[in-house]
Amino acid sequence: MATVTIDNKQYEFEGRPLLLQFCTDRGIEIPHFCYHPSMSVPANCRQCLVKAGTPAVDRATRQPKLDEEGNPVIQYFPKLMTSCSMEITDGMVVHTHRSSELVERAQKDNLEFLLVNHPLDCPICDQAGHCPLQIQAYKYGPEGSRFEFEKVHKPKHIKLGPRVMLDGERCINCTRCTRFTAEVSGSHQLTIIERGVNNFPMTPPGVEFDEPYSMNVIDICPVGALTSIDFRFKARIWEMSSAPSITATNAKGSNCFYWVKNNEVLKITARQNTEVNDYWLPDEDREGYQRFNDDRPHGPSGKTDGGMRPMSWEESYAAAVDVLETADPARVLFVGSPHATVEDNYLLSKLAGHLGADTPVYLEHTVPGSGDNWLITDDKTPNASGCERLGFNAADVPLLRSKIQAGGYDVIYVLEDDPVSSGLFDSNVDAKVILHYYNTTNATLAAASVAFPAAMIVETVGTYVNVDGHAQRVRPAKAVKGVNRTLQMEMGKSRLDQHGTPFDKWYDETKLVDCKPGWEIIPEVAKGLGLELSYRGPKQIMEEVSTALPSFTGATYESMGLVGVRLSDTPTLV
Amino acid sequence: MEVAKQGTSKAGNWRDYERVLLPKVKNLHKLEVYEENGGYQALKAVLTEEKWTPKAVTDEVKASGLRGRGGAGFNAGLKWSFMPPVDDKPRYLCCNGDESEPGTFKDRQLLEYNPHLVIEGILIACYAMSITTCYLYIRGEFADWITHIEHELEKAYAKGYVGKNIMGTGFSTDVVIHKGAGAYICGEETSLMNSLEGKRAYPRIKPPFPAQKGCWNYPTTINNVETLACAPLIINKGAEWYSAIGAPTHPGPVLYGISGHVNRPGVYEFPTGMLITDLINEVAGGMRGGKKLKAVIPGGSSTPPLRADMIDGVTMDADSLRTAGSMMGTGGMLVLDETVDMVTWLKRVSHFYHHESCGQCTPCREGTGWLEDIVGRIDRGEGNVRDLDLLADLCTQMEGRTVCALADAAAWPVRYTIERFRDEFVAKCKPTLTPAGSPLTVDA
Amino acid sequence: MATNNGAQFNRHPEPTFSSDQLVFTSDEKSAMQGYLEMYPEPEGAIMRGLWLAQEKFGFLPPEVIRLVADELGIPYARAYGVATFYTQYFKQKKGTYVLDVCTCFSCQVCGGYDILHYLEDKLGIKAGETSEDGLFTIQEAECLGACGSAPMLQITNGRYVHNLTESKVDSLVSDLKDGKMPAFESVTLPQDETEMGGNRRDDVESLEYYKTPPVAETFE
Repeated sequence: MATVTIDNKQYEFEGRPLLLQFCTDRGIEIPHFCYHPSMSVPANCRQCLVKAGTPAVDRATRQPKLDEEGNPVIQYFPKLMTSCSMEITDGMVVHTHRSSELVERAQKDNLEFLLVNHPLDCPICDQAGHCPLQIQAYKYGPEGSRFEFEKVHKPKHIKLGPRVMLDGERCINCTRCTRFTAEVSGSHQLTIIERGVNNFPMTPPGVEFDEPYSMNVIDICPVGALTSIDFRFKARIWEMSSAPSITATNAKGSNCFYWVKNNEVLKITARQNTEVNDYWLPDEDREGYQRFNDDRPHGPSGKTDGGMRPMSWEESYAAAVDVLETADPARVLFVGSPHATVEDNYLLSKLAGHLGADTPVYLEHTVPGSGDNWLITDDKTPNASGCERLGFNAADVPLLRSKIQAGGYDVIYVLEDDPVSSGLFDSNVDAKVILHYYNTTNATLAAASVAFPAAMIVETVGTYVNVDGHAQRVRPAKAVKGVNRTLQMEMGKSRLDQHGTPFDKWYDETKLVDCKPGWEIIPEVAKGLGLELSYRGPKQIMEEVSTALPSFTGATYESMGLVGVRLSDTPTLV
Repeated sequence: MEVAKQGTSKAGNWRDYERVLLPKVKNLHKLEVYEENGGYQALKAVLTEEKWTPKAVTDEVKASGLRGRGGAGFNAGLKWSFMPPVDDKPRYLCCNGDESEPGTFKDRQLLEYNPHLVIEGILIACYAMSITTCYLYIRGEFADWITHIEHELEKAYAKGYVGKNIMGTGFSTDVVIHKGAGAYICGEETSLMNSLEGKRAYPRIKPPFPAQKGCWNYPTTINNVETLACAPLIINKGAEWYSAIGAPTHPGPVLYGISGHVNRPGVYEFPTGMLITDLINEVAGGMRGGKKLKAVIPGGSSTPPLRADMIDGVTMDADSLRTAGSMMGTGGMLVLDETVDMVTWLKRVSHFYHHESCGQCTPCREGTGWLEDIVGRIDRGEGNVRDLDLLADLCTQMEGRTVCALADAAAWPVRYTIERFRDEFVAKCKPTLTPAGSPLTVDA
Repeated sequence: MATNNGAQFNRHPEPTFSSDQLVFTSDEKSAMQGYLEMYPEPEGAIMRGLWLAQEKFGFLPPEVIRLVADELGIPYARAYGVATFYTQYFKQKKGTYVLDVCTCFSCQVCGGYDILHYLEDKLGIKAGETSEDGLFTIQEAECLGACGSAPMLQITNGRYVHNLTESKVDSLVSDLKDGKMPAFESVTLPQDETEMGGNRRDDVESLEYYKTPPVAETFE
């Protein structure tokens, strides 16, 4: 096997890997700015310099030259090399700043240059605290600057488009953003303009940077040159916690981080998953975070003679049991949800089975033609595929609507959806409706006899299956009211912030939503109906699902981990 | 500074030299005159004579010792031999007529007075490397000369010297003239390729080298105008003849562009290996107004300046100039007399590199302006002696740390002008309480 | 190079040319087609395309750059990035005659600044400015590759004028005011002068010779 020696330690390798990526993969940090694994390698920031050499070869014999002790003589390249662009070859010897003073000096020198025209406005910069330039300047840069002249001035506070703000002076010309629009999204909305020290990224005049993936340039900008217009000045990075999860905007299930301060989601950023979304996230995935914070219900409610009134959780469970235990199972409709987790839908189907009702159906939410064959799908829900794999069929809305209108059902149990908005029935429907819902704007609330506030994707633990059959876990990013040991334990594991603490340090009680995950509500209702669904939490539910249903084989929490598992295309068998 | 005593002229009997790049023929720029004087015979030979396989042509050029005339001085035939074996994919030749190195003005004159020699050289190079398209990149400022060459090229096309089935031999090559638009960096070979491709003209990282991945990612060779003009001469008269001209390790005829404080500036064709003193005192008619020589910049603004006392016995070839502490560069020589303030001069040179840095790499983008700032401050009398150390530091931080050599080219004049004319710089700095260079130096 | 002062930066400037004006003639379109055929990829034709447009419109405001990009079928941003990289493409409107006075290197030490300042005084504008009548713009240029015939200048990306003196500048300016572009000057090689008794070309109107450069009065 071919080997490379990095800082006097030998590593094996295959193929022709790039040195910087090879080191990064092995936890050997080399400072860098312009390199991005999913884009071309311009080697323009010059930060990742290393000293490298290859075994010297005797020109006459074509054999490797050996020193007196029989070790190969290393011929070093005359100049320091950019590790991002250098392919490793067999026998190569590399010295990073850890074993070469020259390299250490070169990295320091380069950072001094980078800071020459960079405004040192970190205290008011949104990127401060998670800024690669700031971090690497502290770690590898000089103590001070010897630059005593006026900095170059460039446009600041420029709204490049509806979502992205430019500060041209902070830009270090790494060209990640322009490479993104040229090579990844293909929108060609950005270019570097001018020349030399006046260079900065810009749209050509008259063009708005409004492509559906524009906010990715904020993620990949290694300085505070490109920031989110929406998020600017809302919170410092160290005031927030982040949880690795997936987005629920569409059926792609792109991987993301939810950023939370004081129990409110303030932004959503991309999380790498080469199987799903690489490093990218569509803007629509980032934009809808307000629904996690706004219009959230305050506890359950139920219909009594005097109309809807708030109830305790126990009262609401009893009210639901009341509705269900007297009903004719053939006249109970269970509506599952492509918004809800596999676990919650599974429990719902168990409840339906226990009562002798039909397998739940689910409501489709597709906007034909809105998908782009990339990270935006026609399907605007995250788990239709999970419902299908559970054996749920998409509801034939007109057919079912006429059956409901004809009085075919006495009870309709709706999991985390809004059938009134979907046109399945009207708010004056002549059936009792049990509803799990997210937001008070839900139109079905008006028809509900019992309404359970449901935990949203940012508050629960569970599994979603994306359009390609990729099963992925979600983790809680924010807390809900009340005591739920599973959620609290998961939170402690999942929500490590950038500073290694699981706690939302800026947290007060006022923003807690009084809601519960389906896997807490449904067993309570089931218990009243004589069905014990006493799982030790969603993890155990999923263990059962993955063993019982071939369409979920392998989808355990352990194997899904942070990147999910690709399920086989086994036809649904229930 | 040690004065390197060197040898005598390597240019032989140069006073009787008969020019070959710009021979003594009236109206040679016209195709018919060029033909009457043996034009396109070298091309005909390589295309028709059996002994001239593409490899034989390359070997002949290699054996001639021809070194690139664009600045780097690399063996041209060797460069050609780096092209990979022929396959069905395109391959390109770029003829570099971007001529933007300050002090250089010879390609323009060659293109005006002997354009067909350049075109013939291009075609021979294309044959040697089995290339069917050559881009002749000419800087946009040379608009009049571009029109001139387009006109002559059209005639060459009409006569069947260029284009499809050249001279009925089945060999075809197109020559496309690309007009630049004002950017020094386009003279750098990989930047030139990006400019051709319609990108911002940023240099590319090497490897891959152009011979592996050049224009549009296909194998490409880039040669200077004057370099290619030598090819027909080598084919006509042989590698041996060529290698016997001038300095043995850097042979051939060369166009010296002499400018500055001499009586008779201009472009002169002579063998390589001319004594600098011969070029100044005889060829260029001596110093203007009998003034004393102060400095010579031998090959364009990037080459380190030589102080008057450093040029004795120094000849215009790579070896001698390296020993003397400079480089051959483009052979565009600037002569400065005693009236020149080297600080002011350096400030303008630094401004040039600041203006022309493409801005891709950090050290060059940020360093070139900083150098100009500091030299400017010293020039205004506001500098401190420690600025000289800072300048040297910044040069170290720039040299060899960027994708292309522009950062080096910007740093060398600063480093060596200060090193070789330090007294002038110190004299312009603010007075200090202790002698310059002392660790106790304090600004007054 | 354009100043990039943030406060003045206008991302959506009012177009100079109306949509009626923003059309290429069929000749121009076929020229563009010719450029496209010169390169394996359409992007290669950007520079030629921009040149053609600048000759037609006088300068390259954004709408013209977009027109070129559309005509060639390449991204507008790509064309705009290229246009702003090169100094010869005028992004702002200039005078009818743009006088690029070289002050670099050889010209610096041979009176380039004398000529620049003489012109500035004569036309009452500073380098970078355009005269009120819109006739002249003066610019300080980097090396134009005519070092042996310093000081020199270039007129609107075209003609070179060598061996400048104050009187030569005077007659140049008055000729230009009369709409008379000076003839192409063929600069005779010193060896031709000696060996061939003058310039080797007999098809040029105007001859120049390499002369002893003037003594620079100002040196910046």
